Amino acid sequence: MSTTALGPALAKKRVLICVGSGGVGKTTVAATLALRAAVDGRSSLVCTIDPAKRLANSLGLSALGNAETRVPASALEPLGVTARASLHAMMLDMKQTWDDLITRVAPPEQREKILANRFYQSLSTALAGSQEYIAMEKVWELRRKGQYELVVLDTPPTAHALDFLDAPNRVLDFLDNEAAKWLLAPALKAGKLGLSLFNRSGYVLRALSKFTGTEMLQELSSFMLSLSGMNEGFRERARGVRALLEDATTGFVLVTSPHSERMDEAIHFNTLLKQHRMEVVALVVNRVHPMPTEAMWQAASTLTPTRRAKVEETLRELQVLAEQDRRGIAQLQAACPGIPLIQVPRFGLDVHDITSLWQTGRFLLGDDAF
Amino acid sequence: MAGLLDKRLWIVSGKGGVGKSTVSAALALRSARAGRRTLVCEVNTQERVSRFLGHPAAGPEVTLLEENLWAVDVRPQEAMREYGLMVLRFETLYKTVFENRLVRYFLRFVPSLQELVLLGKIMYHLQEKLPDGRPRFDTLVLDAPATGHAISFLSVPQVLVQTVPPGPMSREAQKMRDLLVNPSVTAAVLVALPEEMPVNEAIELHAALTDKVNIRTHAAVLNQSITERFTEADLEALADQPDLYAVARAHHDREALTVLAGTKLERNLHVPVFNVPRLLLPTFGREAIEQVMGHLEALVMGER
Repeated sequence: MSTTALGPALAKKRVLICVGSGGVGKTTVAATLALRAAVDGRSSLVCTIDPAKRLANSLGLSALGNAETRVPASALEPLGVTARASLHAMMLDMKQTWDDLITRVAPPEQREKILANRFYQSLSTALAGSQEYIAMEKVWELRRKGQYELVVLDTPPTAHALDFLDAPNRVLDFLDNEAAKWLLAPALKAGKLGLSLFNRSGYVLRALSKFTGTEMLQELSSFMLSLSGMNEGFRERARGVRALLEDATTGFVLVTSPHSERMDEAIHFNTLLKQHRMEVVALVVNRVHPMPTEAMWQAASTLTPTRRAKVEETLRELQVLAEQDRRGIAQLQAACPGIPLIQVPRFGLDVHDITSLWQTGRFLLGDDAF
Repeated sequence: MAGLLDKRLWIVSGKGGVGKSTVSAALALRSARAGRRTLVCEVNTQERVSRFLGHPAAGPEVTLLEENLWAVDVRPQEAMREYGLMVLRFETLYKTVFENRLVRYFLRFVPSLQELVLLGKIMYHLQEKLPDGRPRFDTLVLDAPATGHAISFLSVPQVLVQTVPPGPMSREAQKMRDLLVNPSVTAAVLVALPEEMPVNEAIELHAALTDKVNIRTHAAVLNQSITERFTEADLEALADQPDLYAVARAHHDREALTVLAGTKLERNLHVPVFNVPRLLLPTFGREAIEQVMGHLEALVMGER
């Protein structure tokens, strides 16, 4: 029986989104949550982004490209548990997902033209938030199909939390042809850039073209035109994605490590999520150093001198690290009042096999605690 | 090996969370101590380098932190403005055009324009001159974004040169590319931790920088290294004390990972690897940076 906030979340939510900075173990937490949900009887899918090879292997994932793969029962054998529902995993291929989306919403005659356009390449790969957007778009798609009771999303390492939350708006902005039409109207009418100084947009355009070169503007205008036919389809989906983020059955799991820099980012993320009225289910502090126990010091004092010195030095180091973590976590909790905070200890080695996932899960769900 | 001091632009990158800002701060401090006028650039982040060194955040203006050391946080809006003024020459014209909401929308989607102006500002500082003709800065340390972002960020000039029709953007891009690919000007320092993913990312980053962007990797830094302590005999002797065994085992495993990571980096990058041990200080600040700097002495000054 779980004692942490993640228990009810795993039982009730339809979508869980793991967010946080790079290098804090988001993928591991996401995979663990899906595993636990499946074992407890809800069919689950974990959608990973660039997982460690060994983690992918331990989930039976070998190919990228958005294939939803069922994790075989044999993969769970080392745990001595059987899942009461199916567990699936996939690796998200961003570019492929964008191309699929275009294929779905573009008129057939425009498809190739769009896929080959430089501005499309920029939208699908370089636009801040585009990766985040497409990851959520994928989840929305999966959620609409309703094949899984729970979808857990791992997210790209975000440079800025805002990129993530703003992503649907940015994509909508991009499609907001009002701006383009206003700017490009003269060009569209004349088939070239209007250069009349008496017309406001012409004047602005001329200054702009100094900046980007005229051909760039013309290419952009033709791209905007080719998109205009698919606006509504896009818009509807972007609205769907935004609604999904705010839905009561969607929850965010904020993952951080106990480094002050990472925690500052987590605090910032939490503030933004609150502003966007999105629910943070739990704050997971990963890789926390446990404090060496009195019994360990006691046992160390019985060792031979050289060995004792080595062990005691190691315990002293662990003590410093545990102190640092403890102070940081206290500050974190103070900065995020009311958000359940769950600590996962630092395990011996990289956490990339199913056994370590299970171990992580025991802490996430409160079966084990510090 | 030759030291980094022979180069003028030092690019520090690696996976998120490996300590890029720590290494950038240490390298910049050492360069300043060597009497070089040094500017450390962060790109649109919650600034760290200045704070690590015990100074208030610099913000978007080039700010003197201490003797020979300046910092700046390069942000899109300010960089765009500076670039815009350079192109348009008139403040009022800039205001009319760029403070227009629709134009702002529009510019956000011009491919790579944001990266171009960010990188453009950095390259501008690299070429700035004092009234007497000497460079304003001898050394520029770029605390670059993490792997994927770094590759797309640094590829921008190359991509633009190949795709953009001739014009102001492509001319700027050409100039930047020439500086980036010049091995006597630019050197990359790749940071990793002794763990699987950070090491793999450093290797991927090296391949991309070499093949796609043509930037030379100068060295790797293996941060948070664990030095050898426990022998196999120690572990055997602790076998009947499960708690202590676990402590010693974990340490021993990390020692092994450190060795493995160092070897793997050397084999794949063909450059020297500098180990920076894990620091155990109550707070992470100036003292930590000074310690890291000590371990990077030969990287900056060269082997003597």
